[in-house]
Amino acid sequence: MSNIAGKAYAMNVVTPAKWYWVWVNKLFFWFVQLPGGAAYLKGLLTLSLIHYARWAIVSPKEFPHLDESQPKEKLKYSYMFFFSNFNGSWDQYVDSFHAAIPQGLDLFWFKNVKYPKSVPLQPFHAYITYNQIWTSHYYSAYPLATSNDIKSARHLTRELRAFSESSARADPLEFHEAYQRLLRDVQQDISIMERTPIVSLSAQAVEQRLDQADAERADQ
Amino acid sequence: MSIDLQDIQGNIVKGYAQYDYPKARYVFYHIRNEVAGRAFVKGIAPLVTTGIPWNKKAKPNAADAPPPATTNIAFTYMGLKMLGVPRKSLQTFPEEFVMGMKLRKDILGDDGPSDPRHWDRIWRDTSVHLWISINGRDPASIETRYQEISHLVAESDGGIIQLSGHHGPDGSTDLPYQSASLIYKNGIPQAREHFGYRDGIGEPYFMASSGHPNRVIGGGKPTRGDPATRKGWEPLETGEFILGHRDEAFETPIAPQPPLLAFNGTFMVYRKLHENVGSFNRYLDTVGENYPGGKELLAAKFSGRWRSSGAPVTRFPTNATAETFEFQLNEAEARLYAERENPSKEAKEAYVALRTQMAAFDYNHDLEGSRCPLGAHIRRINPRGALEHGKEAFNTPGALTNRRRILRRGLPYGEVADDSRDDGDHGIIFIAINASISRQFEFVQQQWINYGNDFKLANDKDPLTGNHGVDSNQQPTGRMILQGNSTATENPFFCAGIPRFVETRGGDYFFIPSLTALHMLSNGTVDPT
Ligand code: HEM
Repeated sequence: MSNIAGKAYAMNVVTPAKWYWVWVNKLFFWFVQLPGGAAYLKGLLTLSLIHYARWAIVSPKEFPHLDESQPKEKLKYSYMFFFSNFNGSWDQYVDSFHAAIPQGLDLFWFKNVKYPKSVPLQPFHAYITYNQIWTSHYYSAYPLATSNDIKSARHLTRELRAFSESSARADPLEFHEAYQRLLRDVQQDISIMERTPIVSLSAQAVEQRLDQADAERADQ
Repeated sequence: MSIDLQDIQGNIVKGYAQYDYPKARYVFYHIRNEVAGRAFVKGIAPLVTTGIPWNKKAKPNAADAPPPATTNIAFTYMGLKMLGVPRKSLQTFPEEFVMGMKLRKDILGDDGPSDPRHWDRIWRDTSVHLWISINGRDPASIETRYQEISHLVAESDGGIIQLSGHHGPDGSTDLPYQSASLIYKNGIPQAREHFGYRDGIGEPYFMASSGHPNRVIGGGKPTRGDPATRKGWEPLETGEFILGHRDEAFETPIAPQPPLLAFNGTFMVYRKLHENVGSFNRYLDTVGENYPGGKELLAAKFSGRWRSSGAPVTRFPTNATAETFEFQLNEAEARLYAERENPSKEAKEAYVALRTQMAAFDYNHDLEGSRCPLGAHIRRINPRGALEHGKEAFNTPGALTNRRRILRRGLPYGEVADDSRDDGDHGIIFIAINASISRQFEFVQQQWINYGNDFKLANDKDPLTGNHGVDSNQQPTGRMILQGNSTATENPFFCAGIPRFVETRGGDYFFIPSLTALHMLSNGTVDPT
């Protein structure tokens, strides 16, 4: 069981909120998608360690009841599900949120039960830790890639395709110039990917044990 | 907010080298038994240099007179344990401090030639409990203080052991202490390290900092104001560097218990970093020949500052601009040195104005890195708001950088006998002071020196200090892109095959207690209940 795969970390946080307050959160979710709300998203989008972040509110009625064998529950709260994939460590991520977009966070988690506000940091850490659900399975198809690397790779592919089409019949001088231009256009996108720095010594130890177990299985 | 500088050890708030203490001796001890340990600390306590501002004109024995030699003391986790600090209190110390530097090697990137197996013997075979630093005006003052301390060791009757095992020049491997010193040229101490860079420029400025108020420029945290003026900067909160005070998260930092043990104390990183001067010079010579800007510009692109003057390349991007600046700086420094007994107001002001220019910048006009590359040492280690990528998207431009600052207190060590060779014993005794070793020093070392994702540079490392590896043919794999100017027709330049210029030779993590805590430790009265 690990929250980590390759260079990414998966975080799930589930927090209760009184049902009669969640319209405020919903209104905010709606608002940030309008042009006027862009300021809140800009901070989020500029945090380049994030692959993905999503908030969803589920009311008591909306929880699935799969069949009769599932005991009926009486839920008192609506629940906010927060799900995010990011690069780096838990601390790096939570601390970046807290420092970069504290007001945004306080609106996202507005009136959630016992939400302490995003500043100061220690109570906020405690709140996230308390409400975090560990990931039981997490897979990364590109373990060497961060979100930045993927964006770079996409840009590089686009530019390279365009270049190879446009320069196919160029004379040497034109080709040279176009190639130099290409270099300048993609200079931010051509660093090399390698393994992730270790996220923590405990995560590293788990990975080593799993690798060891894999190797033993392969031997048999 | 005021802070009791008499309760704080002086090395936290003062870089002694800047106060005319060009030399240091670092001595390490092992505590054999608690009683002797506490008696030793009690003997040292009155010698400890505090943070009170010095008055050069004070009478020699006055409390605020600069002493001939300073003395500071710090403990490893095992050292605190040996002094009898109760378990309940020990358990409140942070994980990285408890583990010590050696066991953190996979986080710090101490692999290959930097692996603890190759460290100086003192860091391999023994258990360091206690660090004492003596900084002095001259070797004689250091020796006098050293003798006083050695006398206390002798009195301990074997209860305290001074640890030897430092490597030194000429292949010696068992020196009794580590010496360090500014490098001298024509008898004058230079703020320089062995690769030839001017050093000791960038320094965080926080609420309890002393010195000229202009030091907030470039030293503080960025506001959205003009970085060339004081409006562009604010002092950092004291709690980033000293425990028990408000930090940048608007709270008092997580700290050991009881509060009085931690209050006014902090954590220190000590690291002996060897510099491969021969490899460095060879790389500059070979690659500098092909680089359109030449060897010196290449060296400047590695660090973010010109070697000879320390002028930031982002502000002084060409040889010509840098040379003019250097000329002015040399004049101002020479004048200040000539007037050092009683400097005139004009001499001081001229120097401060130039000094300020060296710090008065950010990277908002250089987002693509065509002047100062995105991967340059000082741009990585103190991005000054550049992690906002010019977007004004965060609550504050320093959101991702204000909590990653460190105070540097080290000095160069050793001498370079032959600058075409890597061997010998020379480099930097790197000393960093911060409230959290893991959040500040270790994060910078792991994420910003040995990795590049925050700068959108994938796995590229710091060219100067990164732990560059080798491929299967033992060829070095370090690389760096010197970004070109996309609006002009200046192309990026690719540095490949960068070898590891800096190797770790030892070190550990220490706790620097306040004077009050030092007394508690020596009396054995630490009690968290
Ligand atoms: C032998 C190894 C190293 C060398 C040769 C070196 C060299 C330099 C140089 C030339 C400067 C610019 C001058 C100045 O601002 O004082 C500098 C600045 C700096 N270095 Fe290093 N450095 C080394 C290791 C490190 C390490 C390991 C760290 C931290 C983990 C570090 C952190 C810093 C910081 C914080 C600054 C000031 C940046 C600023 O605030 O502008 N250095 N270093």
